[in-house]
Amino acid sequence: METEAQKYVWDGAIPLQIHLHDSEVTTLPPPSPALILAPRIGYLPLLSSQLKPFFSDALPPGVDTIWFDYKGLPLKWYIPTGVLFDLLCAEPERPWNLTVHFRGYPGHILIPCDGEDSVKWSYINSLKEAAYIIHGSSKNVMNMSHPDQVELWRSVMNGKLETYNRISSKLKLGIIGDEFSGKPNPSPLKGQQSVNETEATAARKASRVPVRLYLWIVDKDFDDLEEAPNFDRWDQVSYINRPVEFYTEGKYFTLLDAVKSILPEFYPGSLNTTKAESKDEPGIEPENESHPVIKLLRIQGIEPKMEIPFSWVVNNLMNPDYFLHICLYIQAPKPIGT
Amino acid sequence: MASDNPIASRKVVVHLRATGDAPILKQAKFKIAGTDKFSKVIDFLRRQLHKETLFVYVNSAFSPSPDQLVNDLYDNFGIDGKLVVNYACSMAWG
Repeated sequence: METEAQKYVWDGAIPLQIHLHDSEVTTLPPPSPALILAPRIGYLPLLSSQLKPFFSDALPPGVDTIWFDYKGLPLKWYIPTGVLFDLLCAEPERPWNLTVHFRGYPGHILIPCDGEDSVKWSYINSLKEAAYIIHGSSKNVMNMSHPDQVELWRSVMNGKLETYNRISSKLKLGIIGDEFSGKPNPSPLKGQQSVNETEATAARKASRVPVRLYLWIVDKDFDDLEEAPNFDRWDQVSYINRPVEFYTEGKYFTLLDAVKSILPEFYPGSLNTTKAESKDEPGIEPENESHPVIKLLRIQGIEPKMEIPFSWVVNNLMNPDYFLHICLYIQAPKPIGT
Repeated sequence: MASDNPIASRKVVVHLRATGDAPILKQAKFKIAGTDKFSKVIDFLRRQLHKETLFVYVNSAFSPSPDQLVNDLYDNFGIDGKLVVNYACSMAWG
């Protein structure tokens, strides 16, 4: 059922070295940092059950609310850990040094988190949003039985790919057949009729792929990712949620085509032209005279070639919430109005 | 210059609908800049209803993250020229 790449994604983990913030250390010597392998598809607050016992002796009295920062930037807990790493560590740092806090939750920057329940709520909502984009309704997710919902969530939390594929296939959210790998959508074991129906319509209709794009517009050039400037505020990253629509038959649709369709403001009039051609178009938008340069595009820790079929990317690198999370650094003049 | 770009300067009509026992607002429709985040809608509702805990949904279906742009939500989920936002004082759709 699963693809090889999907297995890699699910087994992927970030080695973390987690330090307790100085202001919360009440013991001498201070506690040593915690070393943890954090699943890519997981979420930071879920590490609480391991971190809390580790640091509890050092903490001052009070109520615990866990949050993390990287170089002073509070980390958004509802972004999968792998995406945070891809986005914030242009040059991957291993282990990734994070600071954990149990006090002083920065409520002005982060939305509240009540542990696993909040993370599960966020995941299910993301799934419903994706279903809405794919089908025009969230019914399939909303009508899921409670035990199925719990099992699906546990499969994500515990990295059980087989269980995940078994339950999620009932949602019938398979977006596209991947003619390039010669593999049809994972089909449910039961209900052959509806499978045929889905396949028949998928071949004709445009597919809509839910995408969350984390875009950082860099205004100066750098050659080496080590020299990539860090960002210290979330408003330096544009959070763009635009689905990619394309036909599964017909023109070969690449990852670059997908990026262009998400960011038309960076590629004016380029939907059917190449980058070089659009540069030569005289004076349509003077602000875009110099066309954008993709400095980094990372999905699930890899930097795929821009020419690969988008359908492959979707089928293999999609997150368990049915969104494709893309981290993109673009060097470009800022588009108008942002 | 901003007016040259229709998307950037666009205003989105948000239609607020009470769900369950949530009080109905006098003004159910209002305009908001598309470049604003969804958190602005949530904050507006909190202030209007004097409630800290609110459950806010789009199209009676899901709660988007407060970081999402109103423009994106409207483009993806808008119906008949407006973005339908449901609010409830207790969880309406798990």
